[in-house]
Order: sequence, then structure tokens, then C-alpha cells
Amino acid sequence: MKRLAAVAALLSLAAVTACSSGGGAGARPAGGGGGVYTTIDGLRPGIDANAPINPYNPKGNAFRGYNSMWLGWTKNHLTDPNQFYPGIAASWEIAPDQSSITLRLQPGNKWSDGRPVTAEDVKVSIALAYTQGGTAYALDPAAAGTASDVEVVDEKTIKITQSAENPSVTFVRGVMETIIVPAHVWGSLLPADFWDRLKTARGDGADAEAARAEITGLAEKVIAFAPPKDVSAGPFVLERVNPGEALLVKNKHFYNAANVAPDQVKLLNYTGNEQIWNYLIAGRLDNAPFTAVPADVMKRITRTPGNEVVKGYSPVGNALAFNQSRKPYDNVHVRRALAYLIDREQVTKVASPEGGTASVTTSGLHQKAAEAWLGAAFGALEPYRPDPARAEEELKAAGMKKDGGTWTMPDGTPWKMTVHVPAPFSDWVAGAKSVTSQLNDAGIDAEVVTTADYPLYLEELAAGKYDAGFWLVALGPAPYNIYQRLYGAPNGWQLFGGKLKHVAPGKEGNWMGGAETVEVDGAKVNPGELAVKLNSAPEAEQKEIIATLAKAANQDLPVIQMWDYVNTQFVNTSRFTGFPGAESDALRLTSGVWLQLGMIKKK
Amino acid sequence: MALIGARARPGKTALARRLAGHLARGLVMVLVVTSLSFVIIRNIPGDPIAARYEKLVEQGMSPDQAERATAVLYGFMPQGTVWEQYTDYMAGLLTLDLGQSLSTPGAEVTDMLASAATWTVVPVLAGTLLSFLLGVTMGVYAAIRRSGRLGDLLSISGSLLHGVPQYVLALLLGAVFTTLWPVLPSSGTADIMIEPGLTAEYLGSLAQHAVLPVLTYALASYGGWILAMKSSVVTVLGDDFILAAELRGLSRGTVFRYVARNAILPLFTILALSLGLLFGGAIFIERIFTYPGLGLLLFDSIANRDYPLMGGAFLLITVATVVANIVADLLYSVIDPRVRSGEESA
Repeated sequence: MKRLAAVAALLSLAAVTACSSGGGAGARPAGGGGGVYTTIDGLRPGIDANAPINPYNPKGNAFRGYNSMWLGWTKNHLTDPNQFYPGIAASWEIAPDQSSITLRLQPGNKWSDGRPVTAEDVKVSIALAYTQGGTAYALDPAAAGTASDVEVVDEKTIKITQSAENPSVTFVRGVMETIIVPAHVWGSLLPADFWDRLKTARGDGADAEAARAEITGLAEKVIAFAPPKDVSAGPFVLERVNPGEALLVKNKHFYNAANVAPDQVKLLNYTGNEQIWNYLIAGRLDNAPFTAVPADVMKRITRTPGNEVVKGYSPVGNALAFNQSRKPYDNVHVRRALAYLIDREQVTKVASPEGGTASVTTSGLHQKAAEAWLGAAFGALEPYRPDPARAEEELKAAGMKKDGGTWTMPDGTPWKMTVHVPAPFSDWVAGAKSVTSQLNDAGIDAEVVTTADYPLYLEELAAGKYDAGFWLVALGPAPYNIYQRLYGAPNGWQLFGGKLKHVAPGKEGNWMGGAETVEVDGAKVNPGELAVKLNSAPEAEQKEIIATLAKAANQDLPVIQMWDYVNTQFVNTSRFTGFPGAESDALRLTSGVWLQLGMIKKK
Repeated sequence: MALIGARARPGKTALARRLAGHLARGLVMVLVVTSLSFVIIRNIPGDPIAARYEKLVEQGMSPDQAERATAVLYGFMPQGTVWEQYTDYMAGLLTLDLGQSLSTPGAEVTDMLASAATWTVVPVLAGTLLSFLLGVTMGVYAAIRRSGRLGDLLSISGSLLHGVPQYVLALLLGAVFTTLWPVLPSSGTADIMIEPGLTAEYLGSLAQHAVLPVLTYALASYGGWILAMKSSVVTVLGDDFILAAELRGLSRGTVFRYVARNAILPLFTILALSLGLLFGGAIFIERIFTYPGLGLLLFDSIANRDYPLMGGAFLLITVATVVANIVADLLYSVIDPRVRSGEESA
């Protein structure tokens, strides 16, 4: 009876949980060596079997580089954001002033249902992108780096022109990162007169407002759309997904199918880094993208046969950011004193020994990018090496007092510094504890306060509730993006319809509260204005601006950079070989891109 | 016969009246808890869309592009004043429409709950029943042999397992059976390489993936059952009616039946409540084994500030707990003649 009950329970479980099927019609293995490639999707944790096969959906079962394709794949370059590997586009010509880009599609590429991939697919995808508003497609004509015209030249060629109103160096990248979906599946979501409505929307007046509302009104429909089966132009097509894993099989119609090594790709679900570590220790993963790993776990991972560590440039830095509307952090001498007291090598050793290198100084840039942009001038920046004597001088210059070995505010009241970090970020918590421990040793009463999770942390940070907190900086390679972290909306500069305004500290998300103008080399500059100029300035001017902003960041210290992240990945060479090597410009791309480019070979 | 029939009718009426009262109170309880949780959920601080914006910027999107891309998601947030949102929500409940998920836009909350419930109910139910049967049996044994070495050992094992948090046990079992001695899968529900269907291979895979979550749950709750049962049996053993039964020379089997039947009564109530609470899932166990049940769904929904999903999960837990309470109460009156006779005389 009990056995019967157990069987009945399992049968009902199997019946109810029959996995959602991805389709896979026309998708069968073809050449390349075969085998199953196992990895995780590092772009978003959690495989959701309830989610649609939709690349616009934040949890959609469309996996970048596998069954979700871009026009091109952005290389990880130190300074140039406009270098790409081929994707849906085989080649491209960029106008010298970046006013347009003409793309030639892969000649033999077909969707997994056998239909050819055409310029019309790209045009429909661009229309869908306008409803989402990301990348190069904004309805506001004054927005920076927006496409203004899309012209199908022939079946395999398409030309996209940038709006002359507010050109940006991010336009090309925005275009190349367009998600391409099949027009015969997605086209029905768009009204027949979409392009006319778009033209109206990009004008002025009530008609334009109505057209903009109509197009943005399509956004939710697009995000929620659930195609009945996967139709992919990528190297793989979704076969099925269950709550724990997703299975993709090779798309035999893919233009480079003969060079795609595995027949199948298995993506494993995970809810935290611990699971990734276990997968790695068990030798199950052929690749794991960037994963923070403590030193002891790293040792266990590398002991597993076939596991290797690959490290490369990651345009991300970690910094201690100040709320300059709060005393005594409004005083630059206090910030400098803290910089002289914190041993960043020590902090990095504790917080991110495998995935970071201590910042050489604070410039707003990752060290490697700083060297590339600034050259010899990088060495002239103040390094803020640990120097308690200089710190004491700075604190005294700020009027701070020392009472019984403990620093107090200028009026003698206690000074208690709190450093906030989100609790789930173990490296940030460890780093913050190292910082406060060092400050305590130097007579500054400092403590770490953790916030329950990242959404709450960001909300409270933006509301100006913290003295200081950890903050990602140097998000490159586009210099505009890099300096928006220091001199953008968090510091009061807001861009509306192409016009820049500065809001007062504590208002509208200005939690950094820095001064609107600063003096650099004897001249008064507005860092926010300079940062915005990076969007459209030619390279030579960009270099000048970056030099000024790096000096401003270095002398005023809106943040103290702690460590530069190192893209630490894991590969297992037991089953496949040909993985990108250390410092490869493909390291920030997914395994799907490596596979589709034919880099990975079956062992 | 006529006398028996006359006695039975008032009993049924009393039971029906009792059931109606329970249902009315349960409905009020569900409404109150749903309203309270609605208010609490809407006031949880934290902006998940800001977190997504940060993620996009981190991936290389410019701040303005990321702002436009995430602005779309605000369209999925409940609109209007809190009162309007509340009335919409309650109106939706009448048709079992719990809205759409914010974290997985387009997915119906009811579908997500139904999917997750499958992965919770079967393993947690199996774990609960397994631990109950094991705990009760061992509890009786530990009580009878309480002065022996085995009785002590059983009591200690119960105390020890009762004191170990679920997540510690899960990590321990995970480390042993997936890393040191890798004989069981560490995560998921079934091997994706196996075609789903009513095949031995697929069912075997489902069972294999359920072993660790079920075992953890069973071991974690076993301690509670054994200790409760032991204590209950010891109490009953001291009752006068047991002494009377022994003095009257009733067989050991009969006395044991008396003991077991009386001692297990309080545990049935706890069991019924446990079955209601199982809809809350086993958050730590499911998270550690990436087992996509209600606990993990609830955890993710809170992390993502997915208000409709959180509301749906809390509603399900509330309804299940209220129903379990009613069932426990009714069951008690069925299995305990003293309660039944009390109702009838009333």
C-alpha cells in the first residue's frame, strides 16, 4: 500500500511537472565534435521554468550567445567601447563621425525553423527595441546616441543612422547590442504603421506625445510575450527547461554550426555562489563566469582535475563612497586623511584576494584603463599610500581633535563613522570590516553596518541615509559611463532631454553631495559638464577631459578606490579545449559566444 | 436502533455547526491576514528596479540607456494609491486572480505558486510523514525503555537533531553526499537530459533529486517528534487508567494500545498544523539544494520585492494554516471520544 502510494505520488509529480518544452524543431546535432557543454548563466541567477522564451523578459529563457543573439559581441577593450566580434552581423562599416553604421548580415545564417535571417528581422527587432527604450533606441529625440533612421538596403544589409541632435560615442555599441528576434514570430506585436508612429513620436506636440505613449504602451506586451517555441538564430535552440536546468541543442541552421563543438548545452540553476563552488569542486562545469571565491574554496576548486583559472581585465572597481552632505565628510581633508589611513592592499587581501587587485590610487578609472588613457600622467597622481603622519596632518587641517587617542569632531563631540554594505555581498562586508578595523587602530571610531539586501541598500544610499558605503566605480570601457559613477546622477548632475542640471545635495538621488564646481590646476571646472562631454567628444578631447576628471577625483576624493576587480573565471579542460586565455578580450562574453565563434573544441 | 439514530443526528448537527463556525472564523482570519500582509508588503523598503539598473550599468550599458531600459519595468508595478491597489487586489482574489509577477513579467502568480507547490508539497509531505512515523515509533520506545541505554540514546539523538538548525543539517548532508561521497545530485529536480514522462528513468531521476531535501527535512523534524512522543507517553504511563488496566491484568498489548492511542492525540494536532505549514516550504533546505519549491519562491519574491508573488505566497500559507487548524480540530473530535462526547452533551 505504501509502495503504491509512493508510486502514485511520483506519477502525479511527473504529470504535473512535465517540463515546458522549448521547441527545437529543425534543431539537431550537426558536426563539431559533439558532447554536452555544462555551464551556468552568469548574467542572471535562477532559471525560471515559468518564464517565456523571451530575451526582453528579465527572467526569459533566452540565453545570451546561445539562443539569443546580438548583432555583434562587444570585446573587452581598455579604452574603445566599439570593438566587436561578429554576431548576426558578419561585418560593419562605421561612418568616421559615427553618424551611421551599415551592417552586413551573416550570409548563410538561418533561424532554427529553417527561414533565412534577413535585414527585415533586424528592422523588426529595432522596432521592438524602441518599445523597450534601452541601447540606441530612445523615443526622445534629444536623448544621446539615438538612432533616427533605419534603412533596409537589401535582404542582408541594413543601415542605421544616428540622430544629429545629440550624437554619442555609445551609439555604435548601442546598435551592435541590439537583440535580434525573428520577424515572423514577433512582428505581429507591432502595429502596421509602427514606423510612421515612430516618426511622429520623435517630433513635438500633442501628436508626438500620443505616439510616444502608444509605443511605450507596447513595452509590457513585448516583455510578457511568450512564443510557443524557441526560434533561434544562435548556435543553440532551447529544447526544454525545468526548474533546475535548461537544455539547449545545436541549431543545425546556424551559419557556423560546423564549428560549434558540443551537440548540447546544459545550463545549471543556482541561487548563490556556494552552488557554483560545489559544481566546480565536483568538476561539473566546463566554464563558470566571474564568481567571487574565497581562498580556501579556490584551493579545492583548483584541485579538481581539469579545472583551470583564467584571469582577465574587468572594467569594474570597488570604492568607499562618501556622502559629502554629512559632516565631517564634507571636508576634503577628512577624506584625504581616511585615504592615508586605509591600507588598500590589506583590504583587498581580506576582501577579494582572488578577484581583485588593490587600487594604486583614486582616479575614477580602473588602473589599466587609467594607464591607457593617462599615460605618464597617471604616475603623477597622489597615490595615498598608508601614511599615518600625513593622515594626522589632514585631520588637524580639518579641525578634528584627538582626545585620549580617539579623534573627535572639531567641537569635541564624538565622531562615529559608519560604513554601510549590503549583507549578501561577502567581499564588500569583509572589505568594510578591514577598513573599519584599520580606522579603529588609528583612533577613529568606525563600524560596519550591513543592510539586508541590495535593493534596500541602493534605496537607502540614494536617500542619503549613510555616511559612507561601498560603491562600484570605473564601469568602462566607455569613459562617459566611467565618470557618470562619480559625476552623474548620484552626485547631482542630471541629464534631461539633452540638457544638464545640477540638483542640490540630498535631493532627487544626489546622495554624494559633492560641489558643483571644483578647482583643478588653478582653473574652476564643472565635473558633471565634463563627464557629459565625454559622450560626444572626439578621442583627443576625451583624453584631456579624462585627465582633468582623474585629477579632480584624485584631489577631492568623492570616493576612495579600494580594489580593481579581476575577471576570474574557471574552465575545465577535461572535455573541451580552446577556451580564451588570460587577458583575452572575449572573457566577458558568455560561453555561448565562444562556442558560436568556434573557439571551443571537443577534446 | 432508534435510540442510536436519535443520538447520531444531534452529533452530525453539532459537527456541521462546528464546521460552519470554523469556516466563518477561518474566512475572517484569511481576510484579516491578507489585508495585513498586503499593507506590510507594500511598505517593505527597497527598490528592485534600481538593483536591475545597477546590473545593466555594470554590464556596460550607459546610465541613461539603463534608466530607459528599466523604466519599462515600472509598468508592471501595481498602479494607483495603496487603497486602490488594495481594492483591486481583493477584487482579483474573488476570481482567484493574484496578478502577474514583477520579477518574471507576464507570468501569472497562480501558475508560479502551483508550479512551486508541486515541488514543496510532495517532498515536504514525504519528509514530514517519514519523520512523524519514525519519531513516534522511536518516541514510544524511548519512553518505555527510558531507564535503559537504548532509550537514553534515542532521547539524545532526538535532542541533538532537534537542536541542529535545518540549514546546518542540509549543508552537512550536501557536503557528505554530493562532495565527499558524490552519490546524489546537489541541486535541481530531475536530470534535464532525461525526457520528461512517465518512464522509470525520469521518475527515478525525480526521486533521486528529492532524496536530500526529503532526508534533511525528515531528520530535522524527527527530533521534535521523538521528544514530544516520549514526553506524551511518559505522561500517559503515569495516568490512573493505565495503572487500573495493569491491575486488572490486561495483556501488555492491550495496555500498549491504550498508551499509544492516548499519547498520540496531542501529536496529531501538531501533525495537522505541520501539514498546513508545509505550504510555507522549507526555505533553507530548498535554497541550499536549489529545489524550486514554495520556500525558495518566497525567498526570491522577497529579494526581488515581487509584491504580487509575495502576496500570493502569504495567502497560500495563510489559507493552508487555517484549513489545517480546522482539520486538526475536527480530526481531534473524531479520534478522541472524550471531545466527541463533550460536544454531544453540549
